Amino acid sequence: MKALPRASRLIALFCFSVFLLISFTFTPSYAADVGNCLLCHKYPGISRVDEEGKLRLFYVNESIFSNSVHAKVKCEGCHTDIKKIPHDVAKKVDCLVECHIIEPSSEKKFSHKDVKEFLGKSVHGPIDKEGKEKKYIEDYPTCKDCHDNPLYRPLSFFKKVRPGISEASLGRCRVCHKKEEFIYRFYNHVTTRLHKSRNPLNIAEVCARCHDNPEIVARHEMSTKAVFSYGETFHGKAARFLDERVPDCLDCHISKGESVHQMLPKEDPASSIHADNKGKICTNIDCHPSASPKLAKYSVHAEFNLKQSPAQYFFTVFFIILTGGTLLPLMFIILLDIIRRFFPNATIGRRK
Amino acid sequence: MEKYPLIKIKDGEKFFYRFTHNQRIQHIILAVSVVVLVLTGMPLKFHDAAWAPYLYALFGGIHYAPVIHKVFGAILVALFAYHVVYLTYVIHKFSILPLKKKEGLTTMKVLKAIATQPLVPNLKDAKDIGQLMKYLFYVTNVRPRGDNFTWKEKFDYWAPFWGMLIIGGTGLIMWNKELATMIMPGELLNFSIIAHSDEALLAALFLFIWHWYNVHFSISVFPMGTVFITGYMSEELMSEEHYDHYVKIMTEAGLEHEILPPHGGQEDESTEEGGASS
Repeated sequence: MKALPRASRLIALFCFSVFLLISFTFTPSYAADVGNCLLCHKYPGISRVDEEGKLRLFYVNESIFSNSVHAKVKCEGCHTDIKKIPHDVAKKVDCLVECHIIEPSSEKKFSHKDVKEFLGKSVHGPIDKEGKEKKYIEDYPTCKDCHDNPLYRPLSFFKKVRPGISEASLGRCRVCHKKEEFIYRFYNHVTTRLHKSRNPLNIAEVCARCHDNPEIVARHEMSTKAVFSYGETFHGKAARFLDERVPDCLDCHISKGESVHQMLPKEDPASSIHADNKGKICTNIDCHPSASPKLAKYSVHAEFNLKQSPAQYFFTVFFIILTGGTLLPLMFIILLDIIRRFFPNATIGRRK
Repeated sequence: MEKYPLIKIKDGEKFFYRFTHNQRIQHIILAVSVVVLVLTGMPLKFHDAAWAPYLYALFGGIHYAPVIHKVFGAILVALFAYHVVYLTYVIHKFSILPLKKKEGLTTMKVLKAIATQPLVPNLKDAKDIGQLMKYLFYVTNVRPRGDNFTWKEKFDYWAPFWGMLIIGGTGLIMWNKELATMIMPGELLNFSIIAHSDEALLAALFLFIWHWYNVHFSISVFPMGTVFITGYMSEELMSEEHYDHYVKIMTEAGLEHEILPPHGGQEDESTEEGGASS
């Protein structure tokens, strides 16, 4: 990068100082964080260039964070290696640590450790059944490959079910529960979990990071670019137009009642997409309850290519030929007709 | 027939009766529903295109556009069913019954009566296409002398006819996928989607390029042919596109002496080339 001229640097420094001064003077402090981490991390410009030359931003937007599912977790709950301020370079967060929250049903310290066990047994686990590492182990996902810190996405249930918080319902909570902050958080927590925290398009986009990556698809000998082919179905197209009622990847690839981390390969008899279970996916009560199991024979991941689905490929080619064969001659006639109208009586033959 | 004379003279110009009230209403229902179906269907086919969400949003987005699509699809299917009944009735009344009264029916005669319906493609159409090619490639300066319905109109009729069978049939299958897959395998839906959307694209392009060129954009009709509203075609267009039929009607009406020369006076070519036209 070219260095800025001296005068510009001075101006920039001056502006930055004014900005800092204004920020320190006028920003009200909401600081709910015990460790006072926001003292520094509330500034949008806080960043550094790391050893690999990448610009890293360390800004924490408090209003967004406090609407996220992890809002009650203290910073130190996840960033366990930070003991003093100012701190050294922090390690990456390990989602499996025990944080300070007490899980109310068991009254034990809360942790995502169980997820690791689920994931380990699933098609996404890095270790195979014989206990050996799978090929291309670096391709297998860990927590943060799919998850960010999700925001609350509450549902309002009073006369109608719709997104948002129902003030009318909150009024009923207040009869017994006195602490306003608790009421909001509990309402948000429960209603957010009653539906998906991401819409079908977002889910598909998460899966697409690996499942539409041609190198990964080829390396693991997968039969399809899964999200691409899903995108060619009505479900995928509706998801693209932000319909939340259509099934996304997880709705079909997970058996009802199980965690998404328990996704199994289609060869496994317990898998929802195993040939024997597939019929139940479409006919489930929320989808096509009156359908016959034959509906599940619909190939969701057909790609219109010769190798993967030849019948559909030739069927498509037939229509392409039909379209070209009809339109091209007609368009050629139109073109000739337009030109002909400039010279209506010209001819190289005998004039009649 | 009193209300709609075959030749109507208005302000000294002749107009030729072509489409009945019933046919014109059928055409308008067809046209409106096809346009709505294309507008609510194409954003799904081209869901990745930048314009798709905006066009879809105009019809209420993913929550309402599919409903609108189905409503107009149902209208079109109903129209098609009505048309088939109508067609059968018309053929029966005007071709089969007179035949029955006159000479009695045999299978061959009925088939012949059907095969000589005005919209059935015939040898004359092949000759007209050949003549048009000669004309378009400057081999001759004589345009094909079309009959009552030219090959272009027959194409315009049979292409949507076939299209509606394919698109309507597959549309009904996808609409009633639960019922359809009781009998047929699920893969049928894959083929239905391909047939429905690819045939629809073909139909839309066919109508908006070919049909609209012939009835809207071509220099002889621009900005718009009015026969689909009034049912009457001007003498100029009639003699340009349907010369054989025009001569026949004029002769039958006893107006032989007023018949125009083929396609707008090619005799006075010398004045035409000077740029003056009347």
